[in-house]
Amino acid sequence: MIEIKHLRKVFDDDTIPLKDIDITINDGDVISIIGPSGTGKSTLLRCINMLTEPTSGSIIVDGQDITERGCNLNEIRKKMGMVFQSFNLFGHLTIIENIMNPQITLLGRSRQEAYDKAMYLLQQVGLASKVFAYPDELSGGQQQRIAIARTLAMDPDIILFDEPTSALDPSMIGEVQSVIKMLAKSGRTMMIVTHEMDFARKISNRIIFMYDGYIYEEGTPKQIFEHPQKEITKRFIQRLSSLTYRIDSMDFDVEAMNDELNAYGEKLLIEAERLSKLMLAFEEICINNIAADADTPDILVKVEYSEKLDILTMLICYKGERFDVHSSGSKLFQDLLAEHTTEVKQEDISDDPLGYEHIISMRFRWAEEE
Amino acid sequence: MMRRLSILLALLLAAAALCAAEFTTIEDLNGRDIGVQTAVLYEELIMDRVPDSTFQYYTMPNDMILALQSGKVDAYLIEEVSYGVQKKNHPDLAVLEEPAGYINATCIIGNNERQDRLLSELNQFIADSWENGLLDELYDYWIADFDPINDTCDVTGFTGENGVISVAVEGGYEPFSFISNGHISGFDADFICRFARAYGYTPEFYEVPFEAIAPGVETGKYDIGMNIVVSAERNETGTLSDVYYTTPIRLVILGEDESQAGFFDKLADSFYKTFIRESRWELFVQGAGLTVLITISSIVAGTLLGFLVYMLCRKGSRVANGATNFFLWLIHGMPTVLLLMILYYIVFGSSRLSGTWVSVVGFSLMFACSMIDMLRVGCHAIGRGQTEASRALGYSDSQSFFRIILPQAAQHFLPIYRNEVVTLIKETSVVGYIAVLDLTKISDLVRSRTYEAFFPLIVTAIMYFVISALLTKLVTLVEHAIDPRRRKKDKILKGIKEIE
Repeated sequence: MIEIKHLRKVFDDDTIPLKDIDITINDGDVISIIGPSGTGKSTLLRCINMLTEPTSGSIIVDGQDITERGCNLNEIRKKMGMVFQSFNLFGHLTIIENIMNPQITLLGRSRQEAYDKAMYLLQQVGLASKVFAYPDELSGGQQQRIAIARTLAMDPDIILFDEPTSALDPSMIGEVQSVIKMLAKSGRTMMIVTHEMDFARKISNRIIFMYDGYIYEEGTPKQIFEHPQKEITKRFIQRLSSLTYRIDSMDFDVEAMNDELNAYGEKLLIEAERLSKLMLAFEEICINNIAADADTPDILVKVEYSEKLDILTMLICYKGERFDVHSSGSKLFQDLLAEHTTEVKQEDISDDPLGYEHIISMRFRWAEEE
Repeated sequence: MMRRLSILLALLLAAAALCAAEFTTIEDLNGRDIGVQTAVLYEELIMDRVPDSTFQYYTMPNDMILALQSGKVDAYLIEEVSYGVQKKNHPDLAVLEEPAGYINATCIIGNNERQDRLLSELNQFIADSWENGLLDELYDYWIADFDPINDTCDVTGFTGENGVISVAVEGGYEPFSFISNGHISGFDADFICRFARAYGYTPEFYEVPFEAIAPGVETGKYDIGMNIVVSAERNETGTLSDVYYTTPIRLVILGEDESQAGFFDKLADSFYKTFIRESRWELFVQGAGLTVLITISSIVAGTLLGFLVYMLCRKGSRVANGATNFFLWLIHGMPTVLLLMILYYIVFGSSRLSGTWVSVVGFSLMFACSMIDMLRVGCHAIGRGQTEASRALGYSDSQSFFRIILPQAAQHFLPIYRNEVVTLIKETSVVGYIAVLDLTKISDLVRSRTYEAFFPLIVTAIMYFVISALLTKLVTLVEHAIDPRRRKKDKILKGIKEIE
């Protein structure tokens, strides 16, 4: 149905979000595009309906190359729905007009036809009571459902979703996702850029993992989420991203580290209490002892969280005199060590490439309430 | 409290009386503020004798009376003839015995193809008139024995066989040029009418502020400018005729008021002079009409022009935007008066386009600039998302602009638009500079006849308020009419049967 060949996009500031993309989208496909931020996922989606004009390559829709000059894009776009991250409902029109007007203007439907269709779709997305509301009177989730209804009213052959839930409050993600799920089940062709891995996994028949302007790995949800073949995909799926700090003077900014750690925790949904435990251990070991004892401290700290295992790890490598965590005089820290959710390992190492001599590794688990 | 106030008042009056009495010679005025009319150059006559004085420049001769009465100046320079008229209306004026000097007045001849011919004809007429006593006769009639109400000037009987000559006069300068019964009158007007009759011309009078007469004539906009006082500098640039009158210049100071009229008598008299005598209210109505005409034409033309230019720039064409930004910079950066004068004297200098239409062109340009800015800001405020969403649905570029972007942008810029309309109404008050008799200029002219400030100023202000209020109301009505949120529910779903 849609065939994309050697698609490349270079922006005016010389960034290249798309380097060389080839995909074929078949009727009935539900494709989720995943990958780290800034790897060209949204740009790819926007190129498909030419909202962003590709620099080179071709996009063939029903046998017609839409990147060519003289192609009637307005006609092509009527067949491609698009749902935006920021909803983009028309602010001066009521909900019913938002869904009716494009049908009347673009498809030449009568007012009555357009109204009937709009009412049917409003019932489908569960917002039939909001006919006369204006977009800014609705919640984000409601607006996004209306935006989906507006797109559906045009009877498109394919719907492109550009991060449809990213701008939503967590409490509203569900309502929008369930509307999209319903569409996926009804056999519509869809392409979704999303950061919600579970959602992507449940609704798609194909997953595309994008990295650095290329399609890095592609497969069924099972292949990508359970048996990723390539290194970066694996790391991305396991979400083994980490934070690293180096302490080489007494002026280390503990507050900045604390802020960054909290942001990291918020992103990965790590409990605040677990983070404060980690922070307590860090300050006691690194700041109050190792750094305080050394003339020129050299400590490397790495914080990692594995979503799959639900373990928060802190790795402390340092030079100089060995410090035994159990010799700490802090009562709070000793209590922490005694908890059964905290594990600590201490060892000396040799031939480390960076010359570190000792390692302390701490793992923090989360105990479910019994 | 009242007691204290009355003591204060008495002290002030005493002080004023003391001040009024202290000048007897020109040297007494040294170090004082002296008023003089702009561009007449009378200050050069006494500058050496009062080296420490500061000169204050006034556009209208009668504004100097108010300046003197309110203590802004201690004396002012004016031709003896004008003083004679002023004294009749303001008995509290007095004059120094010694004249400041004498002036010789000439006409300045326009810098165009008719210059040489007009100059020789006018000089011939002046020479003949001195010879046969006509100029002395006119001087006696208009100046020595001036009767502001009954003296008339014959403005008929022109054959026009040699064409039309445009004549720039001050218009608010009794007894030389002033509006009487809606027609131009006075010494200058009478003199030129006689010249025109003798040489087969039809004169067309333009009332222009003094300082604009010489520049206007030099660019060829007018054929003859009246009442130009001879000075060395003028001779360098302008072509001047021979002298057609000589008159002493007086220094006017504050004397004692001998009149006994009560406050309400004065008020009633003032009202009568401002509106009833010579049916002057008609002038106010005409002036207001012209102000409204200029304002509305400029708003309509400016809005359309601004919209058109914005549409050309909208797609981001570099040439269109570059040119537009240049003109925005040029027009926004210039005082309104200058823009109008440049248009009138230079751009349309050789055309016979009237001041009124030149004003419309000028204000349309200014309003178009504001309109472009408003559209830019308004459409920018709507954000890319609305454009993208409509284009993604399949709306064409112009459908997207007219159906989605503009209706929303309008709600953003209409309140600014309303303000711009009010600003425009007020800015039109400078069109007097290019010989348009708008409300402000009429008020100036009437004040120059009546020597009254109160009624003309207050009435003019009220008329501006009324015009502003009406136009603002009109814009608000439009604003409400196109506000999508003010629509009724049944209008939104007009012609639709609801399913149960």
